[in-house]
Amino acid sequence: MGVKIGIDVGGTFTDFLLFDGEGNTAIFKSPTTPDDPTEGVFAGLAEMAAEKGVTIAEFLKQVEVIVHGTTITTNAVLTGNGAKTGFITTKGFRDILNMRRGLKEDQYETKYAPPAPLVLRRFIQTVEERTDCEGRELTPLNRQDVQKVVEFFKQEKVEALGVSFLFSFFNPEHENKIGEILATELPNVYVSLSSEIIPQVRVYERNSTVALNAFVGPKLKSYLSSLKDRLESNGFQGVLLIMQSNGGVMSPEVAIRFAVNTLLSGPAGGPAAGISYANPHELKNLITVDMGGTSFDASLIMDQAPGITVEASIARHRVALPAIDIHTIGAGGGSIAWIDTGGILQVGPQSAGAQPGPVCYGRGGTKPTVTDADLILGYLEPGYFFGGRMGLNYEAASTAIAVEIAEPLQMDVVEAANGIYQVVNANMAAGLGVVSVSRGYDPRDFALVVAGGAGPIHAGMIARELEIPLIIIPKVSSVFCAAGMLMSDLRHDYVRTYAKPLAHADLKRLNEILAEMEEEAVSTLKREGIAEAQIVLKYSLDLRYEGQFNEVEVPFSINSGRDKVEEMQLAEITQAFDRRHDALYGYALPGVPSEIINLRLSALGITDKPAFKKTKFLGTDPSPAFKKYRSAYFDTAFREVPVYDGRLLGHGNMITGPAIIEETTTTIVVPPEYDLLCDTYDNYLMHPKGMALSGILEKLRRG
Amino acid sequence: MAGKIDPILVAVLDNRFSSICVEIGQTMLRTSRSPIFSEARDFVSAIFDRRGRLIAQKDYIPVLSGAAPFALRAIADHFKGRIYEGDVYVLNDPYRGNNHPPDITVVKPVFFEGELAFWSMAKGHHVDVGGGGVGGYNPLATDAWTDALRIPPVKLYERGVKQQDIWDMILINVHIPFLVEGDLHCQVGATTIGERSLTSMARKYGMDTLEAVIEEIFDAYEAKMRAEIRSIPNGTYYAERKIDHDGIDTDKPVTVRLALSVHDEDVVYDYSATDHQVKGFLNSTYPNTVSSSYISLFTTIKNKVKINEGSIRPVTVIAPEGSLLNPLEPAPTTASTVPTAETIAEAGWYALAQAVPNLCQAAWNRWAAPASGGVNPRTEKPFGDIHFMSKGGGGATEGIDGWDHLGTVICLGGLRAPDPELHEMVTPYLILNYELMPDNAGAGQWRGGNGLHYKWQVLGDNVAFAMFGSGVRDETAPFGLAGGKGAPKTEQYLIKADSTRIWLDVNTFVYPEKGDCIEIFSSGGGGYGDPFKRSTALVLEDVQNELLSIEAAKAQYGVVIDPETLTVNQTETDKLRSKGV
Repeated sequence: MGVKIGIDVGGTFTDFLLFDGEGNTAIFKSPTTPDDPTEGVFAGLAEMAAEKGVTIAEFLKQVEVIVHGTTITTNAVLTGNGAKTGFITTKGFRDILNMRRGLKEDQYETKYAPPAPLVLRRFIQTVEERTDCEGRELTPLNRQDVQKVVEFFKQEKVEALGVSFLFSFFNPEHENKIGEILATELPNVYVSLSSEIIPQVRVYERNSTVALNAFVGPKLKSYLSSLKDRLESNGFQGVLLIMQSNGGVMSPEVAIRFAVNTLLSGPAGGPAAGISYANPHELKNLITVDMGGTSFDASLIMDQAPGITVEASIARHRVALPAIDIHTIGAGGGSIAWIDTGGILQVGPQSAGAQPGPVCYGRGGTKPTVTDADLILGYLEPGYFFGGRMGLNYEAASTAIAVEIAEPLQMDVVEAANGIYQVVNANMAAGLGVVSVSRGYDPRDFALVVAGGAGPIHAGMIARELEIPLIIIPKVSSVFCAAGMLMSDLRHDYVRTYAKPLAHADLKRLNEILAEMEEEAVSTLKREGIAEAQIVLKYSLDLRYEGQFNEVEVPFSINSGRDKVEEMQLAEITQAFDRRHDALYGYALPGVPSEIINLRLSALGITDKPAFKKTKFLGTDPSPAFKKYRSAYFDTAFREVPVYDGRLLGHGNMITGPAIIEETTTTIVVPPEYDLLCDTYDNYLMHPKGMALSGILEKLRRG
Repeated sequence: MAGKIDPILVAVLDNRFSSICVEIGQTMLRTSRSPIFSEARDFVSAIFDRRGRLIAQKDYIPVLSGAAPFALRAIADHFKGRIYEGDVYVLNDPYRGNNHPPDITVVKPVFFEGELAFWSMAKGHHVDVGGGGVGGYNPLATDAWTDALRIPPVKLYERGVKQQDIWDMILINVHIPFLVEGDLHCQVGATTIGERSLTSMARKYGMDTLEAVIEEIFDAYEAKMRAEIRSIPNGTYYAERKIDHDGIDTDKPVTVRLALSVHDEDVVYDYSATDHQVKGFLNSTYPNTVSSSYISLFTTIKNKVKINEGSIRPVTVIAPEGSLLNPLEPAPTTASTVPTAETIAEAGWYALAQAVPNLCQAAWNRWAAPASGGVNPRTEKPFGDIHFMSKGGGGATEGIDGWDHLGTVICLGGLRAPDPELHEMVTPYLILNYELMPDNAGAGQWRGGNGLHYKWQVLGDNVAFAMFGSGVRDETAPFGLAGGKGAPKTEQYLIKADSTRIWLDVNTFVYPEKGDCIEIFSSGGGGYGDPFKRSTALVLEDVQNELLSIEAAKAQYGVVIDPETLTVNQTETDKLRSKGV
């Protein structure tokens, strides 16, 4: 077996996780090079080759798979620096995209503007055409209008065009016609048709998704082409796969058509990593969290499948295609603590970021942050941050907390630091509540998988708040997303709007649509090199009670027979819908007619996952890794707690809280109420004292 | 820390209470059958302590939030001694604590260990509340009985048992029982979601701790609010704004007169000089008057403060009984939350602008559009809707242009325009135009948001429109501030098959025939500051984007633009601008 590499291009660092054929892993990091991210990627590859003592070409020859997560599209949207984009839509509906359904997110804030439009109004052009709400043509596509618009965009030299007509998901004929004309007349322009990208009801959400696709498409296309060329000219003969927002991967060719699917892919590798690291313990229900410098991402995994949302947004623009349901809040090591006018302590969402960073970094930061509080409380060691590569200024952190927080609240510095610690933990616990409690799940039924530099310092307290019984901290937690990429399958999501009462559903038509989607899915996956046996198809319906305006997604399994869905199954689906509705919204209306809105298909191409290697049993005694005692604050007082060197801890070692473990890129705080065990796959398992780990695992496995 | 509540816990639980209100709101948003809840978000969720004090709320529509505590108190008082675990109450009567009939209040008492601990509320605008109106609006109503069905505080559930008699009684008195029933279920479910989270909090922290924390939250918000009010200069500021008419006396504008006093840390909204109560449906109950008054204050203060029991303590609202803003039973009230509430909010800004102009907003587009209902011949189903696609422009403030398509001000931008496709799938309407309208925003150094041109064709017979609102006359059009210009009035037309155009007034019924069109030109928002000081680049941008004509650029902004090259003629512009208006 060859080498597999996960490459995650982040804002500051490009993370690499290398799996060799024997299951050994190695972590690399190189600085991200925003102007041309391939530079950073190749710097890392060069470092790996050098470590093995071979040339890049020799090294790349051994590489079987590279899974790549890129934020090039994300950054294009966040900075407003995408392609020069035009948009074509139905006459009379020019402003749907920029009106954003007339919503102002922060209602009471007056000094606050809408986001800059993706497409300026003058680049949104309309043509006469109309399809009605049943898919019938009311007004034919006006060729003169089309010609005028084509000339306009030629003159304006747009790089990309989005096209979205009303009800094109019922009848794509007009979009297809204009698509053909554009292909001939503007052959070098990147064109996205809504009936291809997202054939689904709700025109603003559709327009926004298509406009985003067009806005970032050309950038992704040129980046992936150059990356692929450079890899191939350096001897790479393996498979290149691209990370998507839905937690799956795809070929560069598909990525270029569906560029919008990379927009939220940054944290999307996390859940797959969580699933993989929990898998040896046969845990299927997880909450994964990733706490970095400025943000905290949480997502819920049920039965080894991450939650998926179609209500995501980026830079206040809606993305209506499925993305992993990752709830992000402004809480990280750099989050700033402050006191509001009512005298209440608040933490975040403002962050000191990497520059100037927390006060203790000594780079000019003056506002106390979470990391400063962690330092005062003794969780961080002034002399051992980033494995000793960076010193922390305790005095400066203490002064900042004293002046900004402790004095106004009439507390001492330690109490104030503990306040910051608790408030940010509570905010993160509330963030977990959003992905669990608000979605109808009880967090006590889940294991918490923790990633990110700041995550393991806070995980214990967050888990305590929500009574989560088990915390898993993988040793690779600092390159968690890169790891997850290697654990991800190919995944394509399809949707078709089919609006009919369930009782009157035309089973023939329904099965036809399912068959169409399936055909498209299978042929795409086959083109991506997936064998028939490795294809898994998952079906679902979006259902609602008759007259409702929003749907609940209800998964269903299909028949092996000729028809995928039969009458019998519809009855089962109805019951499943009632149950889900009750869990989510506090009531169900059994017996009330329901209606279908969308049919969905998720197609997975199962990839070969790198195998984990078991590590050697070292016995229960952790004392070989013991470094020293340090004073750290727990609940109401400082206590002398043992500090361990994580590099020396291994399989079987047991640590009883309170304790601190120092890894090179993170610190693990074991609160007094917790014990910790090192498992055989280089994970730390943390659980409440007095509860046998085996019992906890068993209970979580039962769900 | 003996005797003192941990300030950290206060911060933690304050956020938790707010997030519970969002959870309640999610159920309303996602399971309603009425586009008014689920698409437009015309509702509020709230939680109260045992004593009925507002702990937190999520005001998708701000005009509802200040009214919620009155409804809760009315229900709690009415059922005193008969409040049981598993009860759910309903109320819509404006003379029994509710704001106006369409906003049906559903409340569930939350018990912990056998004791009343909290209240969970979901309150929202139903598509139908019976009476002689359409979508709850009856412009010809002259009393509370012709206005709508009245529901005094009654139990939908008692000790967990559905009171079918009451449901039957309510549903037989509405035109579209299917939608009303579905949305009552949705509200009950929403309050249950609140109940689940509140009891789990009680289990975790214990009620003694929670109650002590709640007192701290109230005191903290009161202190925040007082600090904000202190930064507004002391004084009494006067304002007067009008409503077109009440639907009955159609030649008589109705006037709201406000004397707003700021004294150190307290604010008094005194409406003593306002008109007497009117015959038609504009009358605003005291809860609605209070709630509408909060809009101007809570948007104007510099650091925003959430609305709860603590933050409203420094605010007093005086409205004499028998006046437009505190009517006596049985005056009709349905339109109070729209034209009357808008007028109250405008009066508040107008008054505050004399003290802190840079923090105030110019007026927004006022609501003028129909509620409609009937049976859709295509689906053979009854439908009801309010035509939210007509939302006009928001007002400008110093430093920020008004937002497009944002009105009305009572929603502060929380009202979501419906999806045109879902709209056509439910209603017998074909939308012909739904676009921003050029040359319609109030000019200013910061201009108002753009208004909307909305036109649709009626594809069925027997559809009724209740046109309601205001702002179709010059004197009720949006005003500008600090030298900014007002926006033109809204215009509404009925277009017959033979192309005859009939101007439509507000607060009247219209019965179109199949094939007729309705066309609404919703105004933009008012501008802020001298238009001649607006950056020429921004004026040019509006011209390039076809939101401002070359003529208007010159007339309103003194910016001369070459029609051939679409560039600014700087010399001509300087010359024109140096002359002043």
